Amino acid sequence: MRGRVVPGGRFCGGFPRAVGGALRVRRFPAAVAEDCRSGERRACAVSRRGPVMAATAGDAGAAGAEDGAAGPVRDGAETGEPGPGAVEAPPPALPGLQLVQQGAEARVYRGSFLGRAAVAKLRFPKLYRHPALEERLSRRRTAQEARSLLRCRRAGIPAPVVYFVDYASNCIYLEDIVGAIAVQDHIYSVQRSGSDASSLLGLAEKMGQLLARMHDEDLIHGDLTTSNVLLRPPAERLDLVLIDFGLSFISGLPEDKGVDLYVLEKAFLSTHPDTETVFQALLQSYAAASKKSGPVIKRLDEVRLRGRKRSMIG
Amino acid sequence: MHLTHPLELFPERSVTLLLFNRVQNAAALRKKAMEGSIEGALINPAMIVDPFQVLVAANKAVHLHKIGKMKTRTLNAEIIFNLSPNNNISDAFKKFGISDSDTAVLIVLVVDREKMVNLEDIASQVEGQQVSLDELPQLTDIAKVKKIYKITPQEEKIGTLLDEKGMGWYTMAPTDGCSVGQQLQRCTEQQIRSG
Repeated sequence: MRGRVVPGGRFCGGFPRAVGGALRVRRFPAAVAEDCRSGERRACAVSRRGPVMAATAGDAGAAGAEDGAAGPVRDGAETGEPGPGAVEAPPPALPGLQLVQQGAEARVYRGSFLGRAAVAKLRFPKLYRHPALEERLSRRRTAQEARSLLRCRRAGIPAPVVYFVDYASNCIYLEDIVGAIAVQDHIYSVQRSGSDASSLLGLAEKMGQLLARMHDEDLIHGDLTTSNVLLRPPAERLDLVLIDFGLSFISGLPEDKGVDLYVLEKAFLSTHPDTETVFQALLQSYAAASKKSGPVIKRLDEVRLRGRKRSMIG
Repeated sequence: MHLTHPLELFPERSVTLLLFNRVQNAAALRKKAMEGSIEGALINPAMIVDPFQVLVAANKAVHLHKIGKMKTRTLNAEIIFNLSPNNNISDAFKKFGISDSDTAVLIVLVVDREKMVNLEDIASQVEGQQVSLDELPQLTDIAKVKKIYKITPQEEKIGTLLDEKGMGWYTMAPTDGCSVGQQLQRCTEQQIRSG
């Protein structure tokens, strides 16, 4: 189990969350934690964490009690006793802190920052990675995400405002969109209440336009799922906001944009059964709104023919 | 009348903002600030849309100061530098610091919670009237803000001016300096010191 390496590829972050966003709990067998690992972890962690830990050590204890579901969070390095499931990153020291979600990549907290409701996204260190790679990878992902969020804002694409990026602890402090619900939950509630076609088509049209604008800026989201698009309250206004740019990058290639749409299609159709017409409407709206959509849709059709259990002819 | 806000990420520190209007001795104040005899950063309130803007800049400045990666030499200079979208320190001072002909001044102090800060002392050095921060919007020059931060009409549609105006710029470059950069910084700071 220790030897299993999670591929850092495009899809790994997306699908687990698409399946209902369940909390993932990391549990390391106790045997792993002890002798050989503890020394190594202590050595590399202390050198990395110094100033940040001093400021947040006091709060780690308090916040640790709150995220019981996510497994105990402790400064394993300082106490010298890692314990099972101990991940070393102390949660950010914000008042009113509570854990919203733990994903494979990062932990998301809610709290208040400088008087505003904020979300703190903390990329905690992955102990299965080599520390040198870990450092570089986490920092690069954090920087990439911050950069993409800013690029979106510059282009007029709705995304949360970035308040502060802490490169020492790889934590991003963003605007919290109070009362927002994920498009996933919105679709669930609409489907449960019976009415299907009309309201969802409006949503599909808006989404298509939003994605068209994003791709026209050559920005690839990388992890498009219905739980990564939020609706600002009130939900009827269809005011969409894109979040989670952790796997995003800049590219002008129709291939990458086609793959981006393919990821969304797969996530959409697997989490929301009987919504083929809705996705069709989304694609039509995308094609109408984007100037460069021709090649992208063509690539999307080609990408559909690839993948698992597909015959690669031609 | 003044506004004090604790910095959540740095529990011992808090930021205090003081706004003064109808200021006469802006030139003298600027000189005093450059020598370092005034404890706070002197900012031109025309460029400030909301106190939150200053809080974010101060937060980043304190963070960089703590990890020893500031680009300027003092914490107060760093606050002014962080307000600017450019990576040029003297440019930041020109645009966001006070000039000799200014009639309003915003003073920002970063203090340790326990240390008693003497607001009257600072207020007495300013020949002007201290006003509440609620008057800040009246002093803001919105057109100039939009120009300096290059805010496009598309951006304005998705958020308030405060959100756009540069939250991003505070977070842009990761903090690993190179020797060339540091040399450049040192020489621009010389320019500032010599006026």
